Amino acid sequence: MEKYSPKLVCFSCKFGWGYLSDEPALASRITNWIPVICSGKIDTSHILKAFRAGADGVLILGCSEGHCHYQDGNIQTEKKVLLLQKVLETFGIEPERLKIRFSVDAEGKSIPLLINTMEKKLVKLGPIKRL
Amino acid sequence: MWQSIHKGSVSVEPAIRQFLPPCQVQCPINEDIQRTNVLISLLPDDLELARDGILQIGDYLYEKNPLFTVCGYVCGLCELECNYLAKGGAIRRRLLKRFISDTYTYHLNQKEEFNLVKHKENVAVVGGGPGGLMCAYDLSKRGYRVTIFEASDRLGGALWLIPQYRLPEKVLTSAIDSLVRITGIDVKYNAHVGEGKLTLEKLVNEGYKAIFIAKGTPAPRILTFGREKVEDQSLSGVMYGTTFLYEVSHGEIKPNYFRGKKVLVIGGGNVAFDVARSARRLGGETTILCLECEDRSSKDRIPADWEEIRGAWEEGIRILYSRGVSKVIGESERMKKIECPRCISVSDTTGFNPQFDLSDTITVEGDILIVTVGQGPDRATLQADNLLDEKGSLALDPLTLQSLNKEWIFIGGDLRRIGFMADAMRDGLTAAESIERFLGGLDMKEGRKREYEAQDIPRRAHYLSEPEVMWIPPEKRMHFQLFERGFTLLEAIEEAQRCLTCGPCVSCKACLSIGIQESLSNVEVNKDRCCGCGICVSVCNYDAAQSKEIETKRISTTDMFKCKSCGMCVVACPSNARKLVGDNMEKKIEAVYASL
Repeated sequence: MEKYSPKLVCFSCKFGWGYLSDEPALASRITNWIPVICSGKIDTSHILKAFRAGADGVLILGCSEGHCHYQDGNIQTEKKVLLLQKVLETFGIEPERLKIRFSVDAEGKSIPLLINTMEKKLVKLGPIKRL
Repeated sequence: MWQSIHKGSVSVEPAIRQFLPPCQVQCPINEDIQRTNVLISLLPDDLELARDGILQIGDYLYEKNPLFTVCGYVCGLCELECNYLAKGGAIRRRLLKRFISDTYTYHLNQKEEFNLVKHKENVAVVGGGPGGLMCAYDLSKRGYRVTIFEASDRLGGALWLIPQYRLPEKVLTSAIDSLVRITGIDVKYNAHVGEGKLTLEKLVNEGYKAIFIAKGTPAPRILTFGREKVEDQSLSGVMYGTTFLYEVSHGEIKPNYFRGKKVLVIGGGNVAFDVARSARRLGGETTILCLECEDRSSKDRIPADWEEIRGAWEEGIRILYSRGVSKVIGESERMKKIECPRCISVSDTTGFNPQFDLSDTITVEGDILIVTVGQGPDRATLQADNLLDEKGSLALDPLTLQSLNKEWIFIGGDLRRIGFMADAMRDGLTAAESIERFLGGLDMKEGRKREYEAQDIPRRAHYLSEPEVMWIPPEKRMHFQLFERGFTLLEAIEEAQRCLTCGPCVSCKACLSIGIQESLSNVEVNKDRCCGCGICVSVCNYDAAQSKEIETKRISTTDMFKCKSCGMCVVACPSNARKLVGDNMEKKIEAVYASL
């Protein structure tokens, strides 16, 4: 049997992650990476669509607490994530498949590492079970 | 490392009516404060790597304000209106600018000259203080050949009165020398325009088509009591504050000059505090006497800045509030003591009109009396040049600064109205615009009245408190070296991150200039879909999403002056009525999902 490699979609806030990096160069090393100007722009529908389109997990990287350029975008998204995890669970999708993390990494070097760590967890979970 | 560009669509242009962050409204020259704060917040945390970014920020500031390296030490007007004042303390913008200044000052000395084509008329600027320098700088960039006529042997004007413990000499000289070098301004020193043969008319005959006069206020105001001059101000030991500061800055006063002496400083303004704190540093046992009272809520409150008062107090300077001077008493031609009645009211509806209670008079002994109760322009020359009206005030248009008596003359700076450094600089810019319009035969006033409205404080869950003031302890700062420590790179980044960036994106565009944002999208509301629920109003942190009654239906709208295009209302809208026009995030998401 072919080795299972999970598909992870990663959103990241541009004011907190990789603003000093050469974005195209970094993007070439990260698959399914979507930098956004503020994590607050990410809607629940975007997350649900990701799972519907075949993603095994979604990782959201917001800027560190108290430092949102748009005041509270990161906190708003964290709220959505916490509620959505409950909803996903009722549909048999493990809450660990949706993760939000607040920090700052100007060079964006840790993004591939964070993705790698989460992918390992997704491997353990295996593919999403269709109910 | 990002490269900031400020050309075309990413440059910030002044508009006639605009919402701006309150700091930018407060700044007399409307500096793009938010933009530089955002850029500082995005610097690398290693000084070597950050250097390039710091110079880029400095170059941007320099375009608009060639004296910004000085402002970073002495101005902080923007902080007085910062929205953060009420929520933990104003953003320390002056220190942030000083942080840029500290790296930029070295770069400034080697900064390349501007490649200016000076094909336009000759213009004379009389007075080389901040107003004159700013006017000369702006006109040179517009292509005029400018000559500054400076009465003393160095440029800078009243900036030289700022003690070195607040503004280091090398910062000032580097700013001034670089300004005239970079823009190729011609300077004539020891040129007393209006005296002897060097008249304004002579300048016209020599080919100068317009003249900006910003000669400042060289005449110290003498001590008065009840509209009468106080006698015996010519005693030995009596001097004037500005003269004293001038001599200190010229190095004409030796260290410990006042050791063992009692120094009395009369006055309650910032200049009086500069004088007192300088006298203290020269070893004097110093006392300040002022008419005004200590109560900061009173109409007669002391005009000096709170930081100056606190600094003086820490340094052991005694302040006697609500005291006037009715008599100066000498002994064998030397100043000995003063009589000080209690001042019960400083001003009334007619303006400055102090009232005293003579039954409460104290005698204060002193060896030195430094009178620092203000200064005024050289009225005799202005009168002789026919620049005053029949009431003795300057005859000029306050909007254009054009003289009403001689249309080729423009007047500004402290000469027009005593103010802060940046006020004089604004006059310089105003005069430069007026001179260009005058020489080009354009309408002098059209489109010049600007209405700026300050953006309110944005809503957020957590506000952060201000960093601690970093002053050297008083016992260790009795010298003329800087007494305030500047920000380190990390402190600067942290403080810049604290900025609420309350201004609308069009007034900043920092994100566009470094390419982390591609365009500023507009929020569009689909009127048919909007049900008027108001959720967008509740999520908008900037009061940009508003609920309005339109054609008998309640729907939401977006005030584009206030909107930051963050998209939070779009995400929150339950009826999908809001959309960011011109935003490509959805397309990017679709492309990624399609590839899964």
